[in-house]
Amino acid sequence: MSRPIPLHEIGEKEYIDPANQACQGCGGAIVSRLVSKALGDCFVRAEVACCGPAFMNIRAPSIYVEVFEGAGALMTGISRGLKRIGREDVVVLGIIGDGGTVDIGYQGLSAAAERNENILWVCYDNEAYMNTGGQKSGATTPYAATTTTPIGEYSRGKLERRKNVPLLMAMQGAPYVATASVAYPEDLLGKLVHAKGIKGFRYIHVSSPCPTGWGYDPKDTIKVARGMVQSGLWPLYEVSNGILKLNYKPKELKPVREVLKMQGRFRHLTDEEVDRIQGEVDAFWSRLVEKDGGNIF
Amino acid sequence: MRRWEVMVGNKAIAYAAKLARVQFISAYPITPQTSVVEYLAEMVASGELDAEFVNVEGELTAQTAALGASAAGARAFTATSGPGLLYMHHPMHMTSGGRFPVVMAVIHRSVKGMQPDHSDMMAQRDTGWIMLECENSQELLDTGIMAFKIAEDERVRLPTIFAGDGYILSYTAEPVEIPAQEDVDAFLPPYRSKYPLLPGLADEARRVQMEQWGIGQDPQLRWRRQQEAMEAAKMVIREVNEEFYKWFGRRYGNGLVEEYRCEDVEAFIVAMGTIASTARTAIDRLQARGKKIGLVKLKSFRPFPSEEFKRLGAMVKAIGVIDRNISLGSGGITFQEIRSSLYDLDERPRVLGFHAGLCGKEVRVGDIEMICEKTLRAAEGEEVTPLVDWV
Ligand SMILES: Cc1ncc(C[n+]2csc(CCOP(=O)(O)OP(=O)(O)O)c2C)c(N)n1
Ligand code: SF4
Repeated sequence: MSRPIPLHEIGEKEYIDPANQACQGCGGAIVSRLVSKALGDCFVRAEVACCGPAFMNIRAPSIYVEVFEGAGALMTGISRGLKRIGREDVVVLGIIGDGGTVDIGYQGLSAAAERNENILWVCYDNEAYMNTGGQKSGATTPYAATTTTPIGEYSRGKLERRKNVPLLMAMQGAPYVATASVAYPEDLLGKLVHAKGIKGFRYIHVSSPCPTGWGYDPKDTIKVARGMVQSGLWPLYEVSNGILKLNYKPKELKPVREVLKMQGRFRHLTDEEVDRIQGEVDAFWSRLVEKDGGNIF
Repeated sequence: MRRWEVMVGNKAIAYAAKLARVQFISAYPITPQTSVVEYLAEMVASGELDAEFVNVEGELTAQTAALGASAAGARAFTATSGPGLLYMHHPMHMTSGGRFPVVMAVIHRSVKGMQPDHSDMMAQRDTGWIMLECENSQELLDTGIMAFKIAEDERVRLPTIFAGDGYILSYTAEPVEIPAQEDVDAFLPPYRSKYPLLPGLADEARRVQMEQWGIGQDPQLRWRRQQEAMEAAKMVIREVNEEFYKWFGRRYGNGLVEEYRCEDVEAFIVAMGTIASTARTAIDRLQARGKKIGLVKLKSFRPFPSEEFKRLGAMVKAIGVIDRNISLGSGGITFQEIRSSLYDLDERPRVLGFHAGLCGKEVRVGDIEMICEKTLRAAEGEEVTPLVDWV
């Protein structure tokens, strides 16, 4: 399992250009910065279509290939190719959006996990297709208003449940799977450094709020991200070879209402809908607590 | 040691990949390609071939993974047919756009049925891949080896398809000469990418890499550079064809087109792939009867040898073009490209079109004789109609 690593223990070297093209307060850009710092000088980064290229690492080798659907295959090829030229020491990293992970790229992701490819897949989850303007994805929290699930007389926003891809990856037997949040950088850095030392398929799914798509003030990204973790909307856990560990386990979760209220995409929620979300969060949390320390299979 | 073996076309393709010592293979089954990757799987399993063999979950992935492996600096190969090739369309543009010299075998299967025609490859004609068509199993093996040398040439660096008609070649056994590994090694040294995706790449290499990947000042530049590379490929294909001849004693015309009995003719027909084989017999028969008609086999569909057709077109009065394809709403693809190649001639020959062999429809020697006779009538100045026929 991982051990939290404080920021000051990580080197000072920066890889992501401060003048990157992400919006102010972008959670994804924070992920990009922390991931490259944690991995250090020996990684290559693969990117497909998403906001990722906006915070693409231009001070380390990286490749952007406009195959939105192909991240798993792209990383597979790079990893196998590097092995063939005798450079297995290089970490093959992808920082991929939730759409490219849980929807259009899921087939390739799942296949790469099945083959246990030697790659590190970091999903920065902003819960929608943000690069195209905020359409619903399979990772969007239920009831959220998105541009393709707008609120209207006949619509209450996104109705489907989230696809729980971290657990799906764990069920596929990936050696290391973790969730993380930009609000808990020590936890994230610890998981990255831990993942770096493992061979095979590693998957880290990071909650990365997006002020532009979620409708909150850019200065509040960390506050929103923290609220999601503290309310159980985004639990932090890791699964190492099937064993689950909850990394953030407060005595009591905060009510979801507070963090939902901060975001424009949930402005329309009725009390009843908030209660329904709360119910689902509580149910999932108690399952996690039950499994904590044990085997998930 | 070179040796002979009676083998099917798909095995000849697998041998080409093996002799080229490919380092990466992505595999996904589709008829009539499947046995290509099965042969390779066996070669890897037995230790005959030392390569990454990845069973991917679809052709989109097969193409994208090969792209990734090539970007990392490995020699990458994949193979597919028909719908599989259509499914690769999106990443194929990326493979050529990034200038990754992936080599792919296409075993033709129609996009409207199981049997062969060239519609699968024609649907990729603007993806920026070099496309070399083969007539028999020996040519598949030989072209497969040449394909790597062409694709990886510094002046080219474009992904390359070598193709053959499915079923007709995939499952038909004929004697094939397998070159000696040492000779292939000498002809085709190991791939060393100047631009691998690696930490610590030299600035200049990185700049070139970025330019190719589209990160630079002029957004149009990558298209332009790729077109320049296609033009350069015409020369490189000729050179590689000649060098192959020096090593192995076989060559395929000048690498771009192959003239068959075109000396002193009034007209010629044009064919690609296995139809060219059938056409040879038809030409032999007609010339035995004193008819002045030859055959030009189109081997390099991309880059398209316009200059060759201009040169050849100036020598005859009529050309009959056989297309195992159609661009619906427009017409035969090579028919149009050949006509357009002749435009700048002062005296242009007549050009007739023939659609034949689509969806695997059989093309017999007699059919080709009919095509030749119509072309000869046009050469004699007769007003033949229609301009385009379905055979
Ligand atoms: C094959 C394909 N379909 C659609 C698109 C358009 N597109 C580009 S980015 C994007 C959204 C990406 O969403 P996600 O992966 O969640 O990343 P985000 O933009 O949210 O960072 C879409 C739909 C595309 N580039 N390619
Ligand atoms: S839209 Fe959202 S995810 Fe994309 S750059 Fe802006 S803040 Fe970041």
